[in-house]
Amino acid sequence: MLRLTSTIRKELLILFRDRGGLAILFLMPMAMITIMALIQDAPFRDYQELKIPLLLSNKDTSTLGRTIEEGLKTSKIFEITKTDKTDHELKQSVKGGDYEIGIIIPENATALMNEKVGHFVTEKLSAAGLGDSANSLVAAPSEDLDLIIFFAPDTKKSFKVSILSTLKQFTSKIETQTLLDYFTKELNQDGLEQPKTENKIDDLVNFKEVNTVESPEETLLLNSVQHNVPAWTIFGMFFIVISMAGSLIKERDDGSYTRVLTMPGSYATVMLGKITAYLFICMIQCVLMLMVGIYLLPLLGLPSLVIGNSVIAIAVVAFSCGLAATGYGILVGTLFTTHQQSSTFGAVSIVILAALGGIWVPVYVMPDSIRMLSEISPLYWSLSAFHKIFIGGGKLLDVLPYAGKLILFFLATIGIAWVFNRSKK
Amino acid sequence: MSLSAAIEVDHLTKIYKGSGTPAVDDISFTIPNSSIFGLLGPNGAGKTTTISVLCGLLSASTGKVTIAGLSAETQSSEIKKIIGVVPQDIALYPTLTAFENLRYIGNMYGLKGDSLKENINKHLDHFGLSQHAKKQVGSFSGGMKRRVNLIAGILHQPEILFLDEPTVGVDVQSRNVITEHLQVLNKGGMTIIYTSHLMEEAENLCTEIAIIDNGKIIAKGMPKVLIKENGSANLEQMFLKLTGKRLRD
Ligand SMILES: Nc1ncnc2c1ncn2[C@@H]1O[C@H](COP(=O)(O)OP(=O)(O)O)[C@@H](O)[C@H]1O
Ligand SMILES: [Mg+2]
Repeated sequence: MLRLTSTIRKELLILFRDRGGLAILFLMPMAMITIMALIQDAPFRDYQELKIPLLLSNKDTSTLGRTIEEGLKTSKIFEITKTDKTDHELKQSVKGGDYEIGIIIPENATALMNEKVGHFVTEKLSAAGLGDSANSLVAAPSEDLDLIIFFAPDTKKSFKVSILSTLKQFTSKIETQTLLDYFTKELNQDGLEQPKTENKIDDLVNFKEVNTVESPEETLLLNSVQHNVPAWTIFGMFFIVISMAGSLIKERDDGSYTRVLTMPGSYATVMLGKITAYLFICMIQCVLMLMVGIYLLPLLGLPSLVIGNSVIAIAVVAFSCGLAATGYGILVGTLFTTHQQSSTFGAVSIVILAALGGIWVPVYVMPDSIRMLSEISPLYWSLSAFHKIFIGGGKLLDVLPYAGKLILFFLATIGIAWVFNRSKK
Repeated sequence: MSLSAAIEVDHLTKIYKGSGTPAVDDISFTIPNSSIFGLLGPNGAGKTTTISVLCGLLSASTGKVTIAGLSAETQSSEIKKIIGVVPQDIALYPTLTAFENLRYIGNMYGLKGDSLKENINKHLDHFGLSQHAKKQVGSFSGGMKRRVNLIAGILHQPEILFLDEPTVGVDVQSRNVITEHLQVLNKGGMTIIYTSHLMEEAENLCTEIAIIDNGKIIAKGMPKVLIKENGSANLEQMFLKLTGKRLRD
């Protein structure tokens, strides 16, 4: 125990006297969090709040025009500008790229629809022998009912299709409503009982949007702060690899490693002391970075970090993430012989694992092929776990799989380092 | 095994992994209790390798090493408790003070509290370092570092002390205080094994020597007797006669 505590004390003393190392461990991630959160604030908002500019010329003051307009408004996908421009002017505005979409609802739209429905209903009823007489048959409308829609020239086909189907939704609902009303009216003329309730049609079938991917980062709550604070916290924690590997190599070079080997007791105790000290630094880093997210970023006009409601889950994730980082540090420090090599490899490998792990940009905007590679990054496991807590409201049980993976990673790195060390004696 | 032998080395050979030639080649010697034994030889002779096997850092390729009746191969954890090692490298933490370095090393030997503190201060005082106790070792001169390095090996009062070139690169004053102290410790019963390439120092200090070159022991015995047998004026002359004037890497 004395060997363990004195090793921890020694390591911490050395760490706290290394100003440069401390700056890397604490100031760098703090700066990264702040800078990246600020830079990515706008893009993240765009991604969530992207609205399609739409120019609407609604010449129909009756039901159809109003319903379509309401539908467009309530869908919240569009940023609607109403206009009295001529059809040609409207077309030019969309063509010029000022608007993504232009829609013209003709003056007589409602009337035309009523005529169409009337013709359809009376025709069907008389064919079924239910019609009144031939002279009540409504004539077919003289012109087609066409809503005009323009797309900007660079619009993708898939986007057009999805917009058209959205619009179709609004119109088909009112078509059905009108149709039903007309049927009722016609049938009532035949002396059938007047329905007591109003024939308001509701959607018989609704589409309910459900997230296809379970990973929490796809939920709308993800903003720049929620992404960048945990991301760069993890990155900073993993950067401990550089100082840890450096310390191991230095001790090997200057003979203090050898000296420790001549002393009584097992070397594992000394290793455990080292891991504990660095893990402690990781924990301080984590707390500090989360504080930056909660208290500092709001001062810069960013939203405050929301950390969910399970402190235990956060502690477990931070702890296992720190373990994974220290294990990796020991591995890098064992495999490489010079400080130069270890810090270069350490830094580059962490940056790559960070990129794969969605630290720089969220994994869900990456191509599928890269997304698969993310699965091998311990930084991704850590980030997913934090997102589960911060965004998905996850509890201890939700993050245990991630923590388990991180701890396995730690054990694997320590194991490899141990085998490598033994083979050298 | 004789009780008077602190160390017995029996046909020891050490071949490093990936190296064809042995660094230590079939050497045998006995170090009596309470002696000061000098293992002398030019650079690359195999001194550090021999000491490393003796204190359990390296395992022997073939041969047998016994320390205070304990097998170096199988009882290294017992051996570690009774030996002290002063490595060739200044194995100290440069950003820790002299006191912090020594406290850590003392703790590793199970020493603690006020008695450790007194012990450290007594040693720092003896080696003229009291006023530097709270300074970082990184700022020390070579001689000061060597003195701290020595204290680190003797704080726990080992029965057997190994020193690998303890006076290399230090001024005459530091060297003097180190060798004088080794004699004091030896009078108190400590067995001292020491390597050096400084012949004059060894001649004055050692009760027994062995000269090693190219991994082989080429002479061993009491220095005075060896010099006489060889017909040389001093150890250095004898050493040059035995090892030749070829320059070493
Ligand atoms: N770790 C090692 N691996 C391979 N060869 C080594 C190693 N350490 C020392 N040697 C070689 O073993 C020989 C003896 O070295 P060493 O015991 O350090 O000599 P000395 O301490 O007498 O100067 C030298 O030729 C040296 O190059
Ligand atoms: Mg040597």
